[in-house]
Amino acid sequence: MNPQKRIAIYGKGGIGKSSTASNVAAACADEGYNVMIIGCDPKSDSSITLLGGKRIPTILDLLREGMEIEKEDDVVFEGYKGVKCVEVGGPEPGIGCAGRGIIVAIQKLKKISESMKKMDLIIYDVPGDIVCGGFVAPIRKGLVNEAYVLTSGEYMPLYAANNICKGLSRINTKLSGVICNSRSVSREEEIVSKFANEIGSELVAFIPKEQIVQDCERDGYSVLEKAGDTDIAEVYRSLARNIMASDCAVDPRALTDERLRELTR
Amino acid sequence: MQQKNLSIMHPRPSSIVAALYTLRDLNVEVAILHGPPGCSFKHARLLEEDGIRVVTTALDENGFVFGGHDRLVDMLQKVEERFSPKRIGVVGTCVSMIIGEELHEAVMEANLDAPVIEVEVHAGYNDNTKGVLFALESALDVGIIDRQEFERQQHLLSEATNVEKKYGAASKEYLEPSRGDVKYTVAKRVIEMLKAGKKGICILNAKKETAYMFADITVALQEVAKKLGVEDNIVNFANLDTGLGLPRVRQHAEHILADMHDNVKIDEIIGGLDEYPIAGQQVRQLIESNYRDFDFAVIAGVPHAIPMEALEGMELISITNGPRQVHPLKDMGHEHVLVEIDLHPKTLGVTNIVESEFGATLRQLAREE
Repeated sequence: MNPQKRIAIYGKGGIGKSSTASNVAAACADEGYNVMIIGCDPKSDSSITLLGGKRIPTILDLLREGMEIEKEDDVVFEGYKGVKCVEVGGPEPGIGCAGRGIIVAIQKLKKISESMKKMDLIIYDVPGDIVCGGFVAPIRKGLVNEAYVLTSGEYMPLYAANNICKGLSRINTKLSGVICNSRSVSREEEIVSKFANEIGSELVAFIPKEQIVQDCERDGYSVLEKAGDTDIAEVYRSLARNIMASDCAVDPRALTDERLRELTR
Repeated sequence: MQQKNLSIMHPRPSSIVAALYTLRDLNVEVAILHGPPGCSFKHARLLEEDGIRVVTTALDENGFVFGGHDRLVDMLQKVEERFSPKRIGVVGTCVSMIIGEELHEAVMEANLDAPVIEVEVHAGYNDNTKGVLFALESALDVGIIDRQEFERQQHLLSEATNVEKKYGAASKEYLEPSRGDVKYTVAKRVIEMLKAGKKGICILNAKKETAYMFADITVALQEVAKKLGVEDNIVNFANLDTGLGLPRVRQHAEHILADMHDNVKIDEIIGGLDEYPIAGQQVRQLIESNYRDFDFAVIAGVPHAIPMEALEGMELISITNGPRQVHPLKDMGHEHVLVEIDLHPKTLGVTNIVESEFGATLRQLAREE
C-alpha cells in the first residue's frame, strides 16, 4: 500500500482552491481511492459541491452549542462516491478568533476520527491568507506532508503564490507542484510554468477557464459528477493521478519581487 | 454528544498551574512558562519554595502579534546554560495557545541534552485536572513515567474531578467562601467527647504535600487523647502508603511517617497520597467491618471524598483548606467544618509535619484542662 497522501492547497483567496480541491477529491474517488476533504475556511464551503449543494454541520458549530463531540459521525459526512467531508467552520466574521478555532477543531478531529488513518488521500482546503498561527495548524500539527500552490498567470495571484513559498520554507513543508487555474490572460501557461521552474518546482496542471465549472458549482455539484465526459473533467482526472503518483516534493525558493515582476511582463 | 458543564461563577483553579505542580511532582528542575510575564505569578513564586525554578518567556504585545518562537528557543538555551537542569518543562499559556505557538518546534530547534516535557495547556478548561493530564501524557511520551502509572493517574484524576463536581467547589454555580466554624469551640467539643469516653476515628485523607499540615491534626489528637488517658479510644486512618504514586509523592508519605515516629500509630493505611479521591471506599469498608460503633470522626484533607454512608451515626469534625468547601461540607451533613487558611504555601518546601491552627488549639485547650 502506498503511504497516505496528506496535502494542502494554498493560493490567493478566490483563485479556485475549493473548486480544485473538490474536483480532485471527486476524481480520486472515481479511481477508487479513499478520500477525505477537510475544509479549514470559516466560510465552510469546501465540500459543498461533493454534497449536492448541501451544507454539513461544522465542528465549530457543534462546539459552539456546547456539545462534546465524541465520535466521528457527528462531524464526518459522506459525499460523492464516499468522499468523507469535514468542515471546520468558524466564528461570525469579526468576532472571536478563527485561527484558534482551526487549532481546536483539528485537534478534536485528530482525536476522534478513526477513518482518517484509513484514507489514501486527505485534502486540507485552507483559507487563502495565512493571517495568523492558527491557519497553519494542520501543517504544524504534523497533519499535512505536502503542499500545492494554486495560481493564475495574473500578477497578484503569483505574488501571493511566491509569498506562500516563503511561508512553506518557514514551516518546513515541501512543495509538490504548482497548479494553474487559468483566468485566460496572455501567455498564462508559459508564465506560470516559468515561475514553477524558477522556484524549483513544476507546473503539474493547467486548468483552462471553462463555463462548465461554474455551471456545475451553481447546481451544487463537482464537474466530475455532473459533467464527467468533458475535457475539463479529464484535466482534473489527470491532476488527481499526478497528485497520487507524485514523489518529488521540493523546498521552494521564493523569487525576489523584481524577478517576479520581470517574469510577468 | 454531551451537553456542557454547569457554568461556575467563582474563580476556579488554573490548568496551567496544575501543569506546573505536576511538573514539580515529575522532578522537573526548571519549568518555562511560554507567555506573558505575569501569568501564574503567585504559584510560580510558591513553587520556587518547593525546589522547582519557574521562568517565563515574558511575551509582550509584540510577542502576541509577531509570535514568540524565537524567544522560546532562546529561553530554552539560556535555561540550559544557566541552570544545567536534568529535566525541563515547557508550559503553554492562554496567549501562546491562542496565537498557535508550537512548543515542539522550539524544543526541536533548541536541541538540548536534557529531556523536555512539553505541555500545551491554557487556563480555559473547566476541569483544572486537564493540566495534570496533559503534563502526564507528555511525560509518558518522553519516557519519564510508564503507561501503567499514567493509567493509574488518569483514573485518579477522573475520580478527583467527579468528587469536585459532586461534593466540592465545582458543585454549584456559586459558592460563598467561608472561614468555617471557630476552632476554639470545635476543639472544646472534641475534648468533651474524649473526656466522656467517646470513641473516634481520625482520618487523614490529604492531597499530596498538603498532608504535611493535615497530619498535624492526627498528631495533636493523639497527644491530647494520651494526655486525657484515652488514647485507646482513637484509631488512625491515613493515606500514607509509601509504595504508591510518583517518587516525590511517596517521599512525602515517608517523611510524614518518619516524623510521626513513635508518637502516633497509624492503624489503617487507606491508600497513597495521590489516592484521596478513591480512599473513601477503603474507609467505608474498614468502618463497616471494624469500626461501626465509633461515635465521632475527625477528617482532615479532602473530607468530601469520604462517602457519607460510611460515616452514618458519627459526629463529624472536618478540616479543609478550601474556604469554598465549607458550605458543600455543611450541606453533606458534616456538623463542624474548619478551614486551615493558607495551608498550601506553608506545606511547600518542607520535609516535616507543620503545625496546624486546629492542632495548636487542641493542644492549648488540653494544657488548660
